[in-house]
Amino acid sequence: MKRSVISLTFIFISLISNSQVLDNLSIGLESNTVWYNDDNETGDFFDTANNDSDKHIRSNSYLKIDYNFLENLTASVQIESYEPFALLNYSKNYEGTNLGIYSLNYRDSKLNITAGHFYSQFGSGLILRNWEDRQLGINNALQGGKIVYDPFSFISLTALYGKQRVGFTTSEGEIYGFNSEIDAASIFNFKNTSLDIGLSYVGRKEETTFLEPSFNELTNSLSGRIDYYHNNFYSNAEYVIKSEDAIKQGGQLSNRLVKPGNALLFNTGYSKRGFGIDATFRRLENMNFFSERNDAGNVFNESSINYIPGLTKQHDYLLTNIFVYQAQSVVNLDTSQSGEIGGQIDLFYKIKKETFLGGKYGAKFALNFSYWAGLDGNYTQDNPDAGILPNYEVNLLGFGDKYFSDFSIEIRKKWTPKWRSIFYFVNQSYNKKVIEGSGIMINSNIGVIESTHKLSNGKSLRLEIQKLNSDSTKHDWTGGTIEYNINSKFSVYVNDIYNNGSDSNTEKTHFFNLGGSYTKGATRLGLNYGRQRAGLLCVGGVCRFVAEATGLTANLTMSF
Amino acid sequence: MKKTTILITIILTSGLLLAQNVPNINLKNLNGKSINIQKISKSKNIKVLAFWATWCVPCINELDAISEVYEDWQDETNVELIAISTDDSRTKKRIRPLVNGKDWEYEILLDDNQDLKRALNISVLPHLLVVKNGKIVYRKTSYTPGSEDELYEIIQKYAN
Repeated sequence: MKRSVISLTFIFISLISNSQVLDNLSIGLESNTVWYNDDNETGDFFDTANNDSDKHIRSNSYLKIDYNFLENLTASVQIESYEPFALLNYSKNYEGTNLGIYSLNYRDSKLNITAGHFYSQFGSGLILRNWEDRQLGINNALQGGKIVYDPFSFISLTALYGKQRVGFTTSEGEIYGFNSEIDAASIFNFKNTSLDIGLSYVGRKEETTFLEPSFNELTNSLSGRIDYYHNNFYSNAEYVIKSEDAIKQGGQLSNRLVKPGNALLFNTGYSKRGFGIDATFRRLENMNFFSERNDAGNVFNESSINYIPGLTKQHDYLLTNIFVYQAQSVVNLDTSQSGEIGGQIDLFYKIKKETFLGGKYGAKFALNFSYWAGLDGNYTQDNPDAGILPNYEVNLLGFGDKYFSDFSIEIRKKWTPKWRSIFYFVNQSYNKKVIEGSGIMINSNIGVIESTHKLSNGKSLRLEIQKLNSDSTKHDWTGGTIEYNINSKFSVYVNDIYNNGSDSNTEKTHFFNLGGSYTKGATRLGLNYGRQRAGLLCVGGVCRFVAEATGLTANLTMSF
Repeated sequence: MKKTTILITIILTSGLLLAQNVPNINLKNLNGKSINIQKISKSKNIKVLAFWATWCVPCINELDAISEVYEDWQDETNVELIAISTDDSRTKKRIRPLVNGKDWEYEILLDDNQDLKRALNISVLPHLLVVKNGKIVYRKTSYTPGSEDELYEIIQKYAN
């Protein structure tokens, strides 16, 4: 054993001392370790996924190695370790230490071939997206093969086959995909104009246990896209259809509710120096699409084929991330749901220097408005005794119940070379019943003031104060952050949010965090102690999603 | 334990020695034109590849801070900053108006399914690479106000 370790080490050292080998190697290491505490206020540590209250120290680690050789070939592996169990809020399927991803890729100017695991996206992802997000615990890479062929500079063709990764195994369903992207502007030799056309097919084949299924094992989906850009104006549209498939109702796959789905996405905007406006409209009807039909609606998003993000502004502050909208693509006859319709508008404007509002250094202004509602129509419950099949009929452009709205204004202002501020205001309406399954509509106003002061010798101080008022007696939040950057390497911070309302989950509890980080080049070590809500945490120059828990967290990331 | 220590030491030391090649990946710019990262990196002028996203406040603070001194940097060192957005389709639409609204002069490339980010093993944003003659000569993650000055010292060091 000892000898083999030594000889391996020797081989490794001789390899790395050969610079040719070294230049072609890329390594990434990420390790997130948490020591969970029993918390007097929020309760003892308990992991419902693994039914465990003993293993307080857990670690999720990822080591990825890519090696490029013989000009055109790249071999990649990703070793993942979830010991002794995965961190809280991760799927139970991530367990132990194993090879998570492996692939071999060949690439030249016309061909790009991958065997093993690969990540692929067609268009905006409404029809197919394979991706990894370690904080969210998503890795739905396909395991199989993919060929991308570019016969001419203006055409790209993709064919793929695979099964989706779920934990360290794969799902039962098989995925077939074909994609074409055509750069029409090059064909017609347009100048200052771009016109891209995309067509995709994705099929999912999964056997069913129904003796007389009223649907096909193979579900087909098609997407057509057009993307146009001329001078300062742009516009793009995508339409997706999905063939008839059984829908899950009341936690069970139904052989009686078999319907097709569709999606429409339209986006347009205009921008020039110092000004930008962008508007998006999207309508989804029965667009859940999973490798296995029974996975529909799983909280970990495992084996999801398509990507349906909530199209709202992604806010950056603790209190602006309490009521976050999730796109509603599920069909639920009990709550008259079959999708969503709505949109958002963004406006960006730079106020010039030496003007009344701009002052000496100018100011930057951003505005966002989004509105989402259910699909308006008739929803019929299943009634076998009366011979009535479950069904829904929805109007093409009818807005049903309101799900969410969000209006925000952001002003960034520099006062002196060493002092700058951000003013942020948000007005939100959040339909808690639809988004979380119970509750009522909550309307809230949130204000944030952030100020950064550069001190001497690379030191800087950042302060945030936040306030959330709502029309519900349950939510009345106050929050603040102090961050002190000692130099570009060391940074410490403390933040706290507190709910003075009567919400039983968060009432009279300080969700506080204190910690620090050390950064050198591309290596970063962060330490944090605190009680946190789920949400986006941005401190010390880095943003990441964190899950709710109390404990001591250590994050290490390195890349070479 | 001992083995792990040895392995980590090796990885650490090998990291110190690296002058890695830029991967051969094509990304599109905002006009839909495909750009090969390896080709544009093979220049004797320094390129800074800055990975960012529209939702990442420190990334925007960093790019805002650099944009105020960018002209001086270019005059003195011919450096070019290429801002590579990792926004996925949720927030991708916000890139063009944001970049124009902020009046940034950087070339913007789109890494919307994170192929390049993954190939370079980047796990947190912001992340910057300083590139010369197709090789990565320096990498750094995170942003604190004023750290753009340290970045500029590194650019000056490699510019000659």
